Amino acid sequence: MPALEFVKVRKSYESPAGERLLALDDFTLTVERGRFVTVVGPSGCGKTTLLRMAGGLIPSDSGEIRLDGVALESPSPKMSMVFQGIGLMPWKTIGDNVALGVQMQVHRPRLTADEAQLVRATLELVGLKGFERYYPYQLSGGMQQRVGLARALVRQPEILLMDEPFGALDAQTRAVLQDELLSLWARVKSTVLFITHDLDEAIYLSDMVVIMGRRPGRIKQVLPVNLRRPRTGYDVRAEPEFARLRSIAWQSIKEEL
Amino acid sequence: MTQSSIALERNGKGGARSLVALAARSYWVMSALSAVGFLVLWQVISMNVPPIILPTPQKVIVAFVELTSSGELVKATLETIWPFAVGLALAFVVGTGLGLLLGIFTPVAKVLDPYIFVFWSIPNIAWLPLFIAWFGVDNATLIVFVFVSAVFPQLLTVEAGAKEADSFLVEVARSLGGTKREILHAVVLPSALPYVVAGLRIAVGRALVGIIVGQLLIVATGIGYMFQFYGETLSLAKYFAPLIVVAVLAIALNRAVNWAERVLIPWKTRAFA
Repeated sequence: MPALEFVKVRKSYESPAGERLLALDDFTLTVERGRFVTVVGPSGCGKTTLLRMAGGLIPSDSGEIRLDGVALESPSPKMSMVFQGIGLMPWKTIGDNVALGVQMQVHRPRLTADEAQLVRATLELVGLKGFERYYPYQLSGGMQQRVGLARALVRQPEILLMDEPFGALDAQTRAVLQDELLSLWARVKSTVLFITHDLDEAIYLSDMVVIMGRRPGRIKQVLPVNLRRPRTGYDVRAEPEFARLRSIAWQSIKEEL
Repeated sequence: MTQSSIALERNGKGGARSLVALAARSYWVMSALSAVGFLVLWQVISMNVPPIILPTPQKVIVAFVELTSSGELVKATLETIWPFAVGLALAFVVGTGLGLLLGIFTPVAKVLDPYIFVFWSIPNIAWLPLFIAWFGVDNATLIVFVFVSAVFPQLLTVEAGAKEADSFLVEVARSLGGTKREILHAVVLPSALPYVVAGLRIAVGRALVGIIVGQLLIVATGIGYMFQFYGETLSLAKYFAPLIVVAVLAIALNRAVNWAERVLIPWKTRAFA
């Protein structure tokens, strides 16, 4: 069953010089329920535009984006987004930042006891128990992104949209958070659409890697990833299949650079 | 340790070195040292100029005690504080409210901004004769004058702050499904809060100038009038008493704003603590 569908989606921007730049053209993709799908491509290929449209933040020029078969017009409570810039409210404590995910979902400032319990449980899930009353500036970048993740997960989303969430983190923190994301995903079982420019990250995490071509953004190639799960249990990156996929993906991207 | 003390230590200025290092470590030692230095300097200068130019610290202290025990200084201080407080409070409420309104609803700002700019551009003092014609030689005139002095910095700072909301944070809130009202609450208002305090800091200073000028030039009450009276009668030692009151008032108000800043915007102030 498709969770998220892009049907002939087209999106253009006006450049400062006044000409139309085509960011996405005739983009069609179906993301099946429960799958982890990653989109990779050179910068400027329209990856982020794609995700912002999926999140209902910007409209498409034409074509349709469907969530559970229904055309998506605006941000949906069934979805959560995670951003590279994280976007925590500096004036809210960690607990309040996560609570905001629920508050704006149910449009009620006061949480019920169950919702408050869910906020605490989610913080514990991402390893931030005891940090409820800290402010974002008191946390490292990696910990801040855990809060970003918690704010998304607390909404118990059907679909998780992630825009290079680990792009600004150092290599070690990124590796740790990739593993944690995989084990969280195994528990919550939402559909994930993940944007990255890191091929290793894409292959390591996904069931399917979508490689995009340069402007106007179109799908160039779709690579199914059949590496065994759970992938945190063995050295996935040392598998010959990992190397094979990596090489194919790299060839494909190189042509676009 | 501060940079200057490190630099001095590297320069190795002999015995002064450890003293400077000590002073730099302790705010109170530093403050006490500067106060003592100031008094010594004052003493030295006042002993070498005619008393009509600068009275000695001792004479000022005597005059201060005298004016305090006679009740004159206390009465004048109260006469100054209450129209100041009323005018400033009105300016804060109106300035913050209108500033948020203009910052959030741009169409309203487009209509009102030219008027605000014109009123803001007119030097405050030019209003005084008009206010006297309207409100009489009275506390009402002082309150209105303090209000006009303080309301514009509050309004303009808050308006700028409300427009300053981070567009990325607004987008994050939209992605969470936030309505306009919820986004206003969760993003726009909190990001304007530091500007509310910054505006208050400027407004307090201008309100203080306003009340003193109003009393000195027109209404002839309170601290402002003491300046005028003892200035004209060349009683310089007594002239310094209200000066001390104004200085203490200014320091106290600044402390109060610092406190408000810590309470209202903990995510900013604590970042540098």
